Amino acid sequence: MIAVRPSSLSSLQLVALASAALVLLPLIYITTLALSADPAVWSRLWTTRVPELLWNTISLACAVVLLALVLGVSTAWIVTRCEFPGRRLWEVALVLPLAMPTFVLAYVFNYLLGFGGPVEALWQMLAGPQARIFSPQSFLGVTVVMGLATFPFIYLLTRSALLNFNVSFEEIARTCGASPLRRIISVTLPLLRPSIVAGVALVILYVVSDFGAVSLLRYQTLTYAVFQQMTGQLDNQAASILSVLLVILALLFLVTERWFRRKSRFYQTAGRYRAPQRIRCNWLQTVGLTASLAMILGAAFGVPVCLLILWSLSPEALVILDARFFGFVWNSAVLATLAATAGVLIGLPLAYLASRKPTWLNTGCLQAAYAGYVLPGPVAALAVLVLCLNLIPVVYGTVLVLIIAYVLHFLPAGLQSLEPAIQQITPNLEEVARTLGLSARETVRQVTLPLIRNGIIVAWVLIFLQTMKELPATLLLRPVGFDTLAIRVWLEASEEYYQLAAPSALLIVLVGLPALGLLLSRDWRAA
Amino acid sequence: MSRSLHKAHRTTPCTNYHPHIGIITTCIVLLFSIIPNIAAADQLTVYSGRAERLIKPALDEFTAKTGIQIALLSSGTTELVNRMKAEGDRSPADVFITNDAGSLELARTAGLFRPLSMREIERAIPPQFRATDNSWIGLSGRFWIITYNTRMVKPDQIKSLLDLADPIWKGKLAIPNAGSEYLHAGVSVIRASIGDDRTKKFLEGLRDNAGTQVYQKSSQIVEAVAKGQVALGIVNHYYVYRHLATQPASPIAVVMPDQQEGGMGAIMNVAGIGVLKHTPRVEQAKLLVEFLVAQAGQKIFADLDKEYPLHPEVQADQALVERKSFRAAMVPLAKLAELRAPTLRLIEEVGMR
Repeated sequence: MIAVRPSSLSSLQLVALASAALVLLPLIYITTLALSADPAVWSRLWTTRVPELLWNTISLACAVVLLALVLGVSTAWIVTRCEFPGRRLWEVALVLPLAMPTFVLAYVFNYLLGFGGPVEALWQMLAGPQARIFSPQSFLGVTVVMGLATFPFIYLLTRSALLNFNVSFEEIARTCGASPLRRIISVTLPLLRPSIVAGVALVILYVVSDFGAVSLLRYQTLTYAVFQQMTGQLDNQAASILSVLLVILALLFLVTERWFRRKSRFYQTAGRYRAPQRIRCNWLQTVGLTASLAMILGAAFGVPVCLLILWSLSPEALVILDARFFGFVWNSAVLATLAATAGVLIGLPLAYLASRKPTWLNTGCLQAAYAGYVLPGPVAALAVLVLCLNLIPVVYGTVLVLIIAYVLHFLPAGLQSLEPAIQQITPNLEEVARTLGLSARETVRQVTLPLIRNGIIVAWVLIFLQTMKELPATLLLRPVGFDTLAIRVWLEASEEYYQLAAPSALLIVLVGLPALGLLLSRDWRAA
Repeated sequence: MSRSLHKAHRTTPCTNYHPHIGIITTCIVLLFSIIPNIAAADQLTVYSGRAERLIKPALDEFTAKTGIQIALLSSGTTELVNRMKAEGDRSPADVFITNDAGSLELARTAGLFRPLSMREIERAIPPQFRATDNSWIGLSGRFWIITYNTRMVKPDQIKSLLDLADPIWKGKLAIPNAGSEYLHAGVSVIRASIGDDRTKKFLEGLRDNAGTQVYQKSSQIVEAVAKGQVALGIVNHYYVYRHLATQPASPIAVVMPDQQEGGMGAIMNVAGIGVLKHTPRVEQAKLLVEFLVAQAGQKIFADLDKEYPLHPEVQADQALVERKSFRAAMVPLAKLAELRAPTLRLIEEVGMR
């Protein structure tokens, strides 16, 4: 391999080092803050809040994973293994809930399942006037909301695994006389395990770091507690302690997932690949399948969107569609654009160096950048806050702090599409360009960048979308009067002004839809 | 391609290297980060810990009257105090308005406020509702009351806040969450009145009775009581009256607690205002204070927000319990600040949510 010019390399390396420092410093700072906290605060937290918070967080994660698994795997199996009218449509539609931020779903469910809400009224017509349904503001309620919001992760991964699945394994089991149930348990499911585990890890991290749903449904998890400590206490000791616990918890889940994946590698046998035959459904089965899919998708997307549209058209909501509202739209757009651009610019050198010059330093920088995974929104906000206050107090209360927090938090999401994009192009192409006389910079500009353009676009869109939906860090760090759409939804919804929250919520969902299409066509199908 | 050609190409100025994008982005980011400071040049920036709906009408009327524009940041009270402390002299805030005398006093002891000597204040607001050096000034009064659903509770069942710890109310009580300043202030007053041990028992009872019915917003507690989701709730009085003003038929009523012989009296707190020490816009800030303590401003708090105005000549709303008919707990407002740290510790020890 022809060596890249040393001068440009070292400047790139500096950028990568700086980005890694940007990510790691806040984490280190917050840990020191927690460790230097008064031991009395530690012991008080351990004896009172921590057991409850840990139990709430872990049990919620487990319950949501169970629900998401049932929904995700069964829907994926239906759309890949059954043939019925409308199958292709369902195949695409089942991704739609991903456009729904958890806080929007939570606030709609707060109304739907709420005390005296429509679902309860319906239930009382059947079961008598005194009948009660479960409250959305309970363990069960939060589980349902989070399960509906996250099952598409598992659906997507399981579906692509099922599509790339060699049926000969199942057929061999069949010729050996295994019953259908036995085939599913001992052949199909184990083969799906890697993708299911990856999906489960996504769901767990999502639940552990979620703020929107748990805050609106008043369910105490570690992430929500960090936020409450930050806003309710005069110092950040307790918040930093809980943050460190949260980081450790997320790290544990992440490491377990990696370990699982390494333990269970399955390889498709080369050649002789045959797509599975779909089961043809008769009309009765079709009706059954369509009804159950419609119920799942209706609860996760259809009904909420219809309600949002209805509320947005109500006179109360139309009144607030003034210049102030468009100011919020503008703020959201500006923040998301800046964060996405900054994220891509910081992510590119990291991913490039780690794949082209995989020294321990470069791969270390890349791994460090993934730390954002274990920094839920309030923790990222707290980390950036203490760091900025100590190092560069001038930027406190400006947009810059917010951007740093976003980049810190969402860089992993961007890297996940940048990294494979860069790895997929062979270094030979760049080497050819160099032998033909292009300089290192020109090679990057004329060969590498055009080739990884799609990866860059996907990374940018991902960060943009996530920033649009971001809530806790924005709440904690926004400059004066700098409200975003997500903040308006949360503020109005937390006082149960359903109509007033609807236009902003609907806009967030609508912006997410085309981006979802982009991701579907580029990212997931390739995966 | 020859070496020289390549060199010439490399130095062409119009080529768009990607480091340039970085520089441009940095510039944009910096530009945006300065915007708040530019915007602050010709208007008053108000940090407010009060619900936006309760303070914006008064500020809008001030703008209409004086032409002075106001940038409003509504957020949590403690969050804003932390923020002003962190921002120090660079804070864009000129004025701080909030709903808890304890927080105002904390901000004063942190040296955030500028003492004001204005005849208008002396004339309008009685001294017990201001800081000793007039660095914060109370604007309106509010009382902790017990609100109950008239279909579920009889008015004579409850006399005192302390009754709410009784296990008969298990699952029937809604309370504010552990981070809310008005809970802190209320618990401080109870501690000062009945001592730490009894307060702790009371809070444990409250915690057990409320269970998961712990709310971030007072308006949610009122809603929950009105719908019958819970039977009782602890809130500041005006949330109930604001609710009744829009829904007069709602089955909800108010007990002014602890008025019995030897009882501690109703827990009072004030919403107030302070002018930040470093602000260059002292004149405009003083105009705002003057507007809010004068009869016109006080009337907004009385009529719109249903609070008790502190100006002795301004009448409270007719629907409210006549102010002279009940007595308030004997704990000076400024004392709420020093009581707060041990109160927070107690609340944490009990493990309230």
